[in-house]
Amino acid sequence: MRSRHRAVVFVVALLALVAAERPAQAGEPIEQLRTQIDRVLKVLEDPGLKKDQRAPERREAVRKIANDIFDFSETAQRSLARHWAPRTPAERAEFVQLFADLLERSYISKIEVYGGEKIQFIGESVDGDLATVRTKITTREGSDIPIDYRMLHRGNRWLVYDVVIEGVSLIANYRAQFNKIITTSSYNELVKKMRTKQEEFLEEERQRRTSLR
Amino acid sequence: MERMRVNVAVGVFMLLGILALGYLSVKLGRVSLFGGTGYRVTVDFPSIGGLKAGSTVEIAGVEIGRVESIGLADYQARVTLRVDGTVKLQDDSIASIKTKGLIGEKYVRISPGGSERIIPPGGRIREVEAPVDFEELLSKYIFGKV
Repeated sequence: MRSRHRAVVFVVALLALVAAERPAQAGEPIEQLRTQIDRVLKVLEDPGLKKDQRAPERREAVRKIANDIFDFSETAQRSLARHWAPRTPAERAEFVQLFADLLERSYISKIEVYGGEKIQFIGESVDGDLATVRTKITTREGSDIPIDYRMLHRGNRWLVYDVVIEGVSLIANYRAQFNKIITTSSYNELVKKMRTKQEEFLEEERQRRTSLR
Repeated sequence: MERMRVNVAVGVFMLLGILALGYLSVKLGRVSLFGGTGYRVTVDFPSIGGLKAGSTVEIAGVEIGRVESIGLADYQARVTLRVDGTVKLQDDSIASIKTKGLIGEKYVRISPGGSERIIPPGGRIREVEAPVDFEELLSKYIFGKV
């Protein structure tokens, strides 16, 4: 009788453990995002890296963290949408690289002007292998900008694949642009455009750096 | 005998008239008899700002379905769409609520994705964009600076 009682307690304890595992897992996307954003903020607030000469170094550090939390290939695939399937593996790899460069050009260079804006984590909702983490940035002027991160479960990590700012999705924006370029001209034209933009950007960077010296 | 023939003719004429009227009202009112055609998919929006049952669902500006019903689920708007059976929606399709023109009516725009997984009948579109609230944006620019 006694041992049976103990068995029941054991089973209940086990069940409680399994049940406790779930909310912990549900809390993961927001925690993982928070960790990575804190890392970025630490880099940006590092007084040693704030000098102009060390800008490339700082950008490299931010890019590394971005690679840890962003799933660029998923973002690229979803942005290319139905034009993704006909691409060869080599074309896909090239496109993901060009797309990551594009995002870096337009966003990572922007966050360098970060000046102590407050980031609030509001909450998260998990739906199977997808999750949304809602955050809010309060600018120095005091206005709030809602930013939602769409994340997906890969292995044991949650990776960001879409950013929704003020209700406008990054993927939806690029999907419409890419679709327009591909249907009015061609995929090759799109890649050519992205490549020249990146080369121009690199050239500009080089000139800026030499003028700084 | 003659009178009987006239009566029947008038009766038939009336019947035809009523049928035509019925057809017209179904067609004009876009009422779907027998539950309509196509399949249902649901979408959860944080807000729908003026979308109504009967609003159109479009891909590339072409109507592919209509909003069947709108309800509340977990303080979000759950919109049920009835989509044309010949249109396949990929798993990563994005549903957004857009406005026709600047102050026109609201409609659901779906931007098709590239995933190999297709949303089954009764499934859900998981990628959404809420309508941009122009008034809120405007007030941000007006009152933004403190």
